[in-house]
Amino acid sequence: MARYGMVIDLKRCVGCNACTVACKAENGTPPGIFFTKVLEQVAGQYPIVKKKYVPVLCNHCLNAPCVRVCPSGATHKREDGIVLVDYNKCIGCKACVVACPYKNRELMPEGKLKEGHFKGYLTPFEQVKYKKFQEGVVVKCTFCSERVDQGLEPSCVNTCPAEARVFGDLHDPESKVSRLIRQRGGIQPMSEANTDPSVYYIE
Amino acid sequence: MISQTVPMVGEEFVMGYRKQSVWSKWIALAFFFGKVGSGMFILAVLLNTPLIALAGLVIENVGKGGALLIHLGRPARFWRAMTRPQSSWISRTVWVMGIFTVIGLIYLVLPAGSPAWQIFKVLALVSAVVVAITDGFVMNDSPAIPLWNTPMLPFLFLFYSLLGGTSVFFFLVHGGWASITPLVDLETLETALIIINLIGVAIYLGSMVNATATARESLRLLIKGPYSGMFFGFVVAIGFILTLVLTLFLGASGGTLVVGLITLADLIGHFFIFYLLLMVGVYSPVLGKLTI
Repeated sequence: MARYGMVIDLKRCVGCNACTVACKAENGTPPGIFFTKVLEQVAGQYPIVKKKYVPVLCNHCLNAPCVRVCPSGATHKREDGIVLVDYNKCIGCKACVVACPYKNRELMPEGKLKEGHFKGYLTPFEQVKYKKFQEGVVVKCTFCSERVDQGLEPSCVNTCPAEARVFGDLHDPESKVSRLIRQRGGIQPMSEANTDPSVYYIE
Repeated sequence: MISQTVPMVGEEFVMGYRKQSVWSKWIALAFFFGKVGSGMFILAVLLNTPLIALAGLVIENVGKGGALLIHLGRPARFWRAMTRPQSSWISRTVWVMGIFTVIGLIYLVLPAGSPAWQIFKVLALVSAVVVAITDGFVMNDSPAIPLWNTPMLPFLFLFYSLLGGTSVFFFLVHGGWASITPLVDLETLETALIIINLIGVAIYLGSMVNATATARESLRLLIKGPYSGMFFGFVVAIGFILTLVLTLFLGASGGTLVVGLITLADLIGHFFIFYLLLMVGVYSPVLGKLTI
């Protein structure tokens, strides 16, 4: 069985946030809710300064703490390793938000789906996209599971102009993600949390 | 190698420490009522005061249960919280509360002194202790926040529960609203528990000094950052020092007003320690500190 994962090449990422925008377009998340984003980090003092862009998203961990702490079974893991939230089961206790070491889950607050980007007026796009969400529940990146099921790549991977994001099967030793991890020493974020993330970073 | 101090960030797209913000006042209130209710129940069972035990059950169910319901994003689905006790501490907490309530009520309706009553007295005590510590496991179950991820929390919660219960009991007995059969010096018990909790909090926070950088950031927020005023004011000055000074130097001899003040001060400290521990929960940066 496949285990879907992603490799993010930090040397290639230019911090353009095209993935952030593509994710919002694909998922139609309301303002302030991001399933993926690009964090920037600066170190040093002029003239020796280094800046790094770190795209972050749900890591779809193998030992996902969010799945373990969920009291209702709303957060579940598919056989292919994608961690999803069943909005009809979520009670909004936010235990998963607290448990996620990467802080990649967000609560859909009350009123968010009525407010939209234009404070009270929902565009036709928002009207369609917001139908799949519910207020008071936790939302997060789905690895674009509906696209993956059709054999497509997640929207952020498809959009990245620098090909910094690579998506594939971690269980296939010949897949591009496996080769990148093997050849360039992919590191998992916060491996000390023992979550075994499916997202790897290479530098 | 030059590195830069990792900043505390909010929702901006910058790498750094991030504060948890989804568990705040309602969870703190649930912990508070949970501790006070179970503490009152434990004391009431040990000192044979069924009415106070009933009050403890009511505080546990209405106070803690109500606060938890308000906290939920979808309160109508609260029953779903019971469906995963095999892995979720929240689910276990709900089960434990239910079992505690059933056992507690059976204990209260059984004729005092009967063999069944004796058995349920032990069961009720055990379930009340379990209720007191499970919230500690709920917090400690979170690998994301090093400040909470310590086995000391359940013990701290148990002693806070006993202190809260004793404080309320002290006030009720002194005010004449309850009478206790065995002669127990509640004043001495209160003093001892304040000192034990003070030592417990000091050891707990002291252990964070040598913990991860993220845990130290939480500690910094608590004792030097924006929450230091509340911590030193409500938890240390009112919750510990004022209660200790009043109990040691005035105590029961100071009259009901002083005892009421001791109870109020203790409960203020009680609520704020939970609230502040929640508010200073900090996540580590995803890829650590950038160096060049």
